[in-house]
Amino acid sequence: MLTTAPHLYIRRPSPTTAEFTVTTCPPPSLPLRLLQLTLLLLRLITISLALLALHARFGHDLPLSTASLPPFLANLLQPILSSAPATLLTRLAAQDATPDWLVAGTALGAVYGALAFRPHTTESVLVLRGLGIQTSTTSGGGGWGVQTRFIPTEKIRDVLINEAFRGFGVRYYLVVVVEGEEDVVVLFPGLLPRRRIVEAVWRGVRGCLWEGGEEGKG
Amino acid sequence: MPPPATYNIAMVSDFFFPQPGGVESHIYQLSTKLRDRGHKVIIITHAYKGRTGVRYLTNGLKVYHVPFFVLYRSASFPTVFSFFPIFRNIVLRERIDIVHGHASLSSLCHEAILHARTMGLRTVYTDHSLFGFADAASIFANKLLKFSLSDVDHVICVSHTCKENTVLRASLDPLMVSVIPNAVVAENFKPLDPPPPPTDPYLQSQQQHHSRHNSSSRYHPPPSRPLGPHDTITIVVISRLFYNKGTDLLTAAIPRILENHPHTRFIIAGDGPKAIDLEQMIEQNVLQDRVEMLGPIRHEEVRDVMVRGHIYLHPSLTEAFGTVIVEAASCGLYVVCTQVGGIPEVLPSHMTVFAKPEEDDLVAATGRAIAALRANKVRTELFHEQVKSMYSWTNVATRTERVYNGISGAISEAEFYGYDAANGAGSWSATRGRSGVQSFALIDRLKRYYGCGIWAGKLFCLCVIVDYLIFLFLELWFPRDSIDICPDWPRKQRKTDGKDDG
Repeated sequence: MLTTAPHLYIRRPSPTTAEFTVTTCPPPSLPLRLLQLTLLLLRLITISLALLALHARFGHDLPLSTASLPPFLANLLQPILSSAPATLLTRLAAQDATPDWLVAGTALGAVYGALAFRPHTTESVLVLRGLGIQTSTTSGGGGWGVQTRFIPTEKIRDVLINEAFRGFGVRYYLVVVVEGEEDVVVLFPGLLPRRRIVEAVWRGVRGCLWEGGEEGKG
Repeated sequence: MPPPATYNIAMVSDFFFPQPGGVESHIYQLSTKLRDRGHKVIIITHAYKGRTGVRYLTNGLKVYHVPFFVLYRSASFPTVFSFFPIFRNIVLRERIDIVHGHASLSSLCHEAILHARTMGLRTVYTDHSLFGFADAASIFANKLLKFSLSDVDHVICVSHTCKENTVLRASLDPLMVSVIPNAVVAENFKPLDPPPPPTDPYLQSQQQHHSRHNSSSRYHPPPSRPLGPHDTITIVVISRLFYNKGTDLLTAAIPRILENHPHTRFIIAGDGPKAIDLEQMIEQNVLQDRVEMLGPIRHEEVRDVMVRGHIYLHPSLTEAFGTVIVEAASCGLYVVCTQVGGIPEVLPSHMTVFAKPEEDDLVAATGRAIAALRANKVRTELFHEQVKSMYSWTNVATRTERVYNGISGAISEAEFYGYDAANGAGSWSATRGRSGVQSFALIDRLKRYYGCGIWAGKLFCLCVIVDYLIFLFLELWFPRDSIDICPDWPRKQRKTDGKDDG
C-alpha cells in the first residue's frame, strides 16, 4: 500500500538539465498522507518506548517527573507514562533477570529502526549538459542518507540499453560506459524499471547530453 | 493468394558458436536463411566461457547464452525443470510460436521441447546423429529421446538412414519424420582456380561466345591437365581422430596403400585421442616424407587443405550425413568413403568410390580411385557446379518452412502428409493424434507419454504433471504482463519463391 511498481518522474528545470527519478513511492493522495502520518506516529511511539525502557533500566537516580515540564506537555505525557503497556515495559526493563546488553541493544535497535526505516526506494539520474551525470540512490528498508555518484561528461563514452539474465528472467537495463573503468555503471540498479521507463530515460539522457537544443527527442 | 505466414522461431541447442562443429553451423546457416525468408529466429544455448547473456551476431541474429552448468563436452547438466522459468521468460518476451530443438545429446533441447509443449507451442526436433541400440549408454539415451519425442509435433532427420534410426529409437510414426539434408556453402569450397586460358584462338573465341550468351552453368571448363603415371596423387583426410571416425581403419590402411601405389602421399588434418596411433604407424613404417600430419585446423582452413589433394578419404564407421564429403566434392576431390550410415545418400555415384568398413576393401577402393584418376576417367573439375546445384541452405530453409507450415496448420494435413495418409485416416487413428496437428490438452499429452513403457510411462507422466504444475505456478508468480516484450529486429522482406532456390 505504501509502495507501487516503479514509475518515472521527469523534472526539467532548464533546457540543459534534466532529472529522471524512478521511485516506488505512489503519487500523493489522502490515504497515502494518512498512512504516512500513522507511520510518523509509530516512529515517535517506538522511540519514546525505547527511551522509557532505557530510563527504567539505567536511570534510577534521575527521577521521572513531569513537574518541571510545561503543564500542557505534562498533561499529555502523564497518561502515556501511566498506561498499562508503559508500566509493563518499565517492569520488564527493570527486572534483574534480563542482562544489561539485551535491554540496551533492543532499545537502541528500535531507535535506529524507527529513524532509518523507509518504505520506498527512489533512484534518480541528474543530467547536466556539459558537466555530466549524477546518479543517486535512496534504498528502501533501512539505511542512511543517499548514495551519489558523479560521472563527468568527458568520461562518458556512451549511454545504452542492454539485456541480461537476472534471476529467472531477462531484464532491460540502462548502462553508462565510463572511460577507463572495466565495468559499466548501471543506472537504477536497485529498481531495474521496465522497458518503457528505460527507453524514455535513455532518450531523455541522450537528448539532454548530446543532442543540441531539441531536448527530449531521441 | 494470401501472404505466407511468418513465424517466430526459437532454435534451442546446447551446441552453438563459439564452439566449432557441424550442428553449430547447421543452426547458424538455417537461421540465417529462415530470416531471409521473413521469419524471426532467435537461438537459445547455454553459456560458454566468457560468453553469457544476450548477444547479437553481426547479421542481427539474437543469441541467448543461458548461464548453466556444463556437464560433458559442452552438454549441459540435465536438470529437468530448472530451465523452465528462464525458458518461459524468453519465449514470452520474444513471442515465440515454434520451438526447434537440435541434436539428441543436448539436454537443453529436450527440456525446451517438454516445456514448450506444456506452454502450448509447436515443436520441431532435428536429429543430427546415429545411435546404437546395444550398449547401456545408448539404451538410456534412447529412453530419453523417446520421452522428449513422445509429444513433439514433427521431427527432421538429415538423411534417410538417420530417419530410420530415429524412428526405431523413439518409436515414432514415420509420417511425422521428414528428411532434410544438410547443405554446404559452396562458395566457401571452391576448387583451385583453373589454369590460365589457352592461347589457341579457336578456344578463345569459343569461350567468348559462351560468356556472352550464357551463364557459367552451361559452360564446362576444359579438362584439367591429365595426371601422368608418375605425378604424385595426394590423398586428404580431415576428421576428428576418434574411434567412431574410423581412425583405426585409417592407421591400418595407410601403409598398405602407400606400398601399393608409389606416387601417392597423405595429408591428415584433425586432432583427437587416436592421433598418437597414427604417429606410431608413421614412425614404425618410416613414412614421414609421405604422410603429413597437420594437427587441428579451423573450419575456414579446411578448403585450403582440401584443394592440395586429389582424393578425399573418409573412413568413418558411423555417420548420419557427412557434410565433409560434400565439402570435399565441392572442392573438386574424388571421394573414397565407407558405405555406412547416411553416406551413400549424400553424393551421386560418379563422385564416389564406396568401400566396406574394413581394411582390405578400403585399400582396394582407394586403389580403384587412384587408377580411375590416373586413367582420367573422372571429371573432378565439374564436381563444384554439380554440388552447388544439389545442396543449398536456401533449399533447406524452404523445406524446413514447409514443416513449420504443416505443424501449425497453415497447409492442410493432406498436403503435408500426402493424400494416402489422409484417406486412410480411419485405419491409423491411433497414430493420428501424433501425426496430425497435435492437441495440447494435458490428458492427450499424458496418453502419449503413458505408452512409453511399463515403468517409464508412469515416470514420464509424473514428470509432465510436475512440469504442468510448475507452469501454473509460474503463471501466478511471474504473470505474463510483467514480462517486457522485445522489439523485433527489422524483418527482411520475404523473397519470392523460386527465384532464390539456387
